[in-house]
Amino acid sequence: MPRPESPASASAPDAVLKALADPHRRQILRLVQNRELAAGQIAARFPLTQQAISQHIAVLKQAGLLTERRDGTRRLYALRHEALDPVRSLLAEFWPDALARLKDAVERAHHPEETR
Amino acid sequence: MTPVPASPAVTATTRIAAPPDVVFPYFTDPALIVTWMGDRADLDPQPGGVFAVDVGTSPARGTYVAVEPPTRVVFTWGLPGSETMPAGSTMVEVILTADGDQTVVSLTHHDLPGEHRPGHKKGWDTFLGALPAAVVHLK
Repeated sequence: MPRPESPASASAPDAVLKALADPHRRQILRLVQNRELAAGQIAARFPLTQQAISQHIAVLKQAGLLTERRDGTRRLYALRHEALDPVRSLLAEFWPDALARLKDAVERAHHPEETR
Repeated sequence: MTPVPASPAVTATTRIAAPPDVVFPYFTDPALIVTWMGDRADLDPQPGGVFAVDVGTSPARGTYVAVEPPTRVVFTWGLPGSETMPAGSTMVEVILTADGDQTVVSLTHHDLPGEHRPGHKKGWDTFLGALPAAVVHLK
């Protein structure tokens, strides 16, 4: 029987890309790229309501892009770097595909007599 | 916190049955680049010159950094109008090596987030801006 999806599956490229598609969310990720911050500390850096920030944080968490750690009554957030791996792998697939098309294009033009 | 391990740049390679001087213009001639990447291109292949390729609805934009026919071409890569994507950007380096009458093409995409290191935020920022262009192209 398939088991319920683990949180790691939420970091599939689509979920990650959707989460990254918002400039505020990208800015949040940059803030917590190398340190943990509480939601209030994040909100203080944006002209947005705490509620709006909470929603952005929820989206990022669901996409697997943020880790959350409790510290007393606070919750601290940090970038989960490995969540970007599926996105990196998209580029890792993009270039070989592109170069395969380059090879086809050059060889068709350079050896037209061999084209079937 | 645990340090972020450095991961290598994305690399790709192919072997083409044509010499480098035939392959090279496919990275610098708008009419040729669209035969394998994007739908429309505006290219000014000199250092500082425009590198613009429309990939679906996403415009991939950058500038040429090095143009050394027929062996090496380097260009930056990103999205315009994106706050994460100012002039600096991820960088694509292409090396063409002759092997008999063939060419080995080695491509390296630098400045991706896995290469993050302290004090080197730019690659990360621009990667986020650049990515949609690459992703659209996959579909």
